Amino acid sequence: MPQPRRQIKLGAFLMATGHHVAAWRHPEAQADAGINIAHYRRLVETAEKARFDLVFVADSPAGWPRAKEPEAQQRSSQGAHFEPLTLWSALSQVTSHIGFVATASTTYEDPYLLARRFASLDHLSGGRAAWNVVTTGADVSHNFSIAGYPAHADRYARAEEFVDLVLDLWDSHEDGAFPRDKDSGIFVDLDKVHLLNHKGAHFSVRGPLNVPRPVQGHPVVVQAGASEPGRRLAARTAEMIFTANQTLEDARAFYADVKGRLAAHGRRPEDLLIAPGIFPVLGGTEAEARRNHEEIQNLIHPAIAWEILRRHYQGRDLSGYSLDDKAPPLPEGTELNKSRLTLVSDLVARGNLTLRQLYLAVAGARGHREVVGTPEQVADAMQEWFQGGAADAFNIMPPVLPGGLDDFVAEVVPILRRRGLFREEYEGPTLRENLGLARPENRFAARRRVSAAE
Amino acid sequence: MSQRQLHLNLFIYPGGHHEAGWRYKGSDPQRVLDIGYYQDLARKAEAAKFDALFLADGPALADNIRYASRFRLEPLTTITALAAATGRIGLIATASTTYSEPYNLARLFASVDHISGGRVGWNIVTTGAAQAAQNFGLDAHPVHADRYGRAHEFLEVVTKLWDSWQDEALVIDPDSGIFADDARIHPIDHAGPHFRVRGPLNIPRSPQGRPVYVQAGSSEDGRHFAALHAEAIFTAHQTLASAQEFYADIKARARGVGRDPDHIKVLPGISPYIGSTTAEAQALHDEFNALTQPAYSLDVLKRMTGLDLTGHDLDAPFPRHLVAPDPDRAEASRFKLVLDIVDREKPTIRQLLHRIAGARGHWVSVGTPEKIADDIQTWFENGAADGFNVMPPWLHGGFDAFVEHVLPILRRRGLFRDEYRGRTLRDHFGLPRPGSLYDHAERRSA
Repeated sequence: MPQPRRQIKLGAFLMATGHHVAAWRHPEAQADAGINIAHYRRLVETAEKARFDLVFVADSPAGWPRAKEPEAQQRSSQGAHFEPLTLWSALSQVTSHIGFVATASTTYEDPYLLARRFASLDHLSGGRAAWNVVTTGADVSHNFSIAGYPAHADRYARAEEFVDLVLDLWDSHEDGAFPRDKDSGIFVDLDKVHLLNHKGAHFSVRGPLNVPRPVQGHPVVVQAGASEPGRRLAARTAEMIFTANQTLEDARAFYADVKGRLAAHGRRPEDLLIAPGIFPVLGGTEAEARRNHEEIQNLIHPAIAWEILRRHYQGRDLSGYSLDDKAPPLPEGTELNKSRLTLVSDLVARGNLTLRQLYLAVAGARGHREVVGTPEQVADAMQEWFQGGAADAFNIMPPVLPGGLDDFVAEVVPILRRRGLFREEYEGPTLRENLGLARPENRFAARRRVSAAE
Repeated sequence: MSQRQLHLNLFIYPGGHHEAGWRYKGSDPQRVLDIGYYQDLARKAEAAKFDALFLADGPALADNIRYASRFRLEPLTTITALAAATGRIGLIATASTTYSEPYNLARLFASVDHISGGRVGWNIVTTGAAQAAQNFGLDAHPVHADRYGRAHEFLEVVTKLWDSWQDEALVIDPDSGIFADDARIHPIDHAGPHFRVRGPLNIPRSPQGRPVYVQAGSSEDGRHFAALHAEAIFTAHQTLASAQEFYADIKARARGVGRDPDHIKVLPGISPYIGSTTAEAQALHDEFNALTQPAYSLDVLKRMTGLDLTGHDLDAPFPRHLVAPDPDRAEASRFKLVLDIVDREKPTIRQLLHRIAGARGHWVSVGTPEKIADDIQTWFENGAADGFNVMPPWLHGGFDAFVEHVLPILRRRGLFRDEYRGRTLRDHFGLPRPGSLYDHAERRSA
């Protein structure tokens, strides 16, 4: 029997008004998108109609980083949006197949509460929930009564323990733990309910969870950090990585590195999907696409431009520079988002950029790959990475919403289908089925099976 | 219709409120994790013009899970899903001040208030269940007074966060490039004994300004807290006299702190067993009690009184002398309530177990639809209640019976609305929409 053809998995990464920093000013944007449920509903319905695997939202438990300049502060549309778990809970009720990836922080959340909410979303959606695990690459400790921002290494140490704990909580009831037998009066089979009695460096949690095992066994675990500790965590626990790569060479190296780490954990390459972000700026011709790109780049107010630059230079005084000066080297170390610093540093080094070119390069996709061109060119770019050992999936990052998603669905998706690279129909009703990921065995049942075999 | 009207919430317990409700022939325990089961209930309650749905919660699984339906979906995600399936009814979710982070909780509720168009209430609890502590890195459950100390500060923090965006803060003017008016978005810079939170929140002010503040503890600390903060109180009373005392006390305390007593709605629980005759209703109640399992019921009693009566003759009088006075019992107001039943009715152990099995100490009303409507009217018109949390013994049938048989009587008597008159939960409850704490600050600086 021939192997089923490998196909691209598609996520729609939804960011309120769109990914471009000035998107909200674009004539085609829904400017109040962050708190407009009808807007999100429309986007999710569009993605489901196109048979996307999933919709994805980023998150940070804080408002926008307080800009030094009120001029920049008041011009930013970031930091005014729905909370992801509630947003997806609502939209799970008006859809039937698309998966919902919500970002949540291991640094600022509590494992028991987080495990419950995601388990609940998985039940509410009939098995379509996924958790994008982040350690939060911005210092928002000021909102959480803790003394100072935990260092990168400490965040990842906590994340390792946090993720294991959540996976155990999701498994604290085995499948079939609930006979709910009216005659005998037995609601629960106690042999299938497990205490954790976890005591670790960061948490002590007794369990069990008070929500039964999720429909998918557990929600799909997504991870979005590409630093060394991030890769280690992903290789052990993640089922999908959302990553930012600028060049095919870098993306290939990342893909090979992460896939190569799996065997050490007894995992197969297909157990972890690699999903780079892609920011498509479309036009009927290449020239038109460039004009569209220019149009939105021109909407960036200078106050916002300088704010972006200050953030990348970690507060360094840039007042002696003009936008047409050559960009100085970026600072060497950070406790914030390490992999993104490396990526932008490489960009500066590679391109010999001016400060203007630098902010224009990151204003759209914040370091993700930008493809400006015709629908064929965008499809080509995706195919090249997909077949070139650099990607299993893509997170599509429309510059402006809703139009950017509508255009991608209308113009690029049909090309991918014609080339046999993307599904016509969903494989099943759960996110795991569509991503081709196995339903995990219950950890407690597995341990019992092992000890019985000994 | 200017006559004072009842407020009615449907309090949903997954398997029904009777501890053996899930075993009753009309119940559907296989569906307790199916969101469709709750959507159907929500739509029925909305068609009946109920003020709100009410979901209890605790961040731990009870130990006594074998014989009863103790699992539930997480309330915030659930009410958001129900918001998508309804258009008018209020949605009240319970969340703990002891085991939540104020910033995270403030976001969740503000988000649901936006998604639902202003229909959310927060039932503020300090969490009575000691098991919860062990899910949050604590060796012991914080004592009652400490929990309330934290709760007061928690309320202060989340109120500031909800107010941190003034109503007019969103400008959204693409031409000038001004998205939000920075002068109307305020860091809260809170620093107290329990919390240090800078803010602002990352979501604009919600349709109701703040969710409706609901509260559900009736201890001394709970009453004090409610008088200061609550806009609706869910409370348990067995007798008219007890409910009247509570009602008068809360309204007096509210006046004492300078609040309009009409802006705190007192809503006792009522669990109705409805029959076309008194005998039929009694038989229904008996049928439920016959389904109880003593191993479970004794455990519930132990949680309320601290007394483990396993092995005692269930038909012997309840051994009142064995109850140790304990001011810090986990469910303080419920402890007193159970002892009042004992002192008043001198029940056997089994009789007491049955009294509690119906609704964990809430008022059980057994009778014809007229009798139940009379009971409701009596409490409503005699200074004991502004409305009720209706607690069906089983689902959905226990709620269907109330809607079909009792509600029309209340409507005929002019006691309950025929139609919604507003869109938000504040509208349904007749509560004002609060301004932002920062309105004044902004005016001053301008």
